[in-house]
Amino acid sequence: MKVQVRNESNATIIDCAGEIDLYSSPALREALLREMRGASANVLVNLNGVSYIDSSGIATLVEGLQLSQRTQTRFGLFGLRSNARSVLELARLTKVFAVFENEQEALAKIASTQPFSGLA
Amino acid sequence: MSSEPRLLHILRCVVRYHAQDAGFAAEDADGLSMAVDEAASNVIRHTYGNRRDGRLTLEVWTYPDRLEFTLEDWGPKVRPETLQPRPLAEIRPGGLGTYFMKCFMDAISYDEDFAGGNRLRLVKYLSPKGSTCDEGAGPERK
Repeated sequence: MKVQVRNESNATIIDCAGEIDLYSSPALREALLREMRGASANVLVNLNGVSYIDSSGIATLVEGLQLSQRTQTRFGLFGLRSNARSVLELARLTKVFAVFENEQEALAKIASTQPFSGLA
Repeated sequence: MSSEPRLLHILRCVVRYHAQDAGFAAEDADGLSMAVDEAASNVIRHTYGNRRDGRLTLEVWTYPDRLEFTLEDWGPKVRPETLQPRPLAEIRPGGLGTYFMKCFMDAISYDEDFAGGNRLRLVKYLSPKGSTCDEGAGPERK
C-alpha cells in the first residue's frame, strides 16, 4: 500500500492506495497519528485507491477517530469503494465516521462536521 | 507459509481462486478471502505474538456442497472463548476480526485433537445457510 500526505486549503489529506491489511496498516497508522498530532485542524483519509481493507485497517481508522477527539481535530473519510464501504457497514461504522463521497465534498464540509463523541 | 504479514495477500489470492473455482460469485469469494485473512492475522498477532518465524498451513478442501479451509499453526493452544468479537456498539480499535470471520463463513471451529498447535476449520456452503453475522459467540471447540 502507498500512503502519501498532502496539504489542501483547509485540510490535510492522507491518500491511500492498495490493500490495507496487517502488513500495511502500520504505515497508515503512523501517518494518521503524525497528522493528528500536527498543526492541521482537519484530517481526511482518501480511500479511493484502496481495493481491500481488513479489521486491522478498520482498527487504525477507529484509532484515528479516537485521537481526533483528544486533539480536537476533525476527521473524515472519502472516496470509499464498494468493498471498503461494505466492510464499514458490516461493522456498523458508517455513521460513526464522517464519510464523504469525494474530495470536493469532504473539503467543503469537514470544517462544519460535528466531532463524534460516542467512542468507548 | 511463515507468519510474515507481507505474505497475507498471497493467502487471499489462493482463497479467492479456489472459491471462484468452486462456484462462488466474486463478491462471496472476496468475503471468504477476508475471513481466512482475518484468521491468519489472528494467528500471527495472537498465537505467534507478531513473530515472523512461525509456521502456518492452509488446506483448501472442495466438496460438492461446500468449501472447507483448515488453518494450522504450531503456537500455544488458543482458548476459543478468548476470541469473542467485541459488541459492535462498543466503538474501539480491534475486536472485529472474529466478527468478520463469522460474517463470511457458515461454520468455524477448533479441532481439539490437533497435537501441533491449533487447527481452525472454516466452512462455507455453496447454498446459502443463513448469515452467521451476529455478535454472538466466537469459534466453537470440537
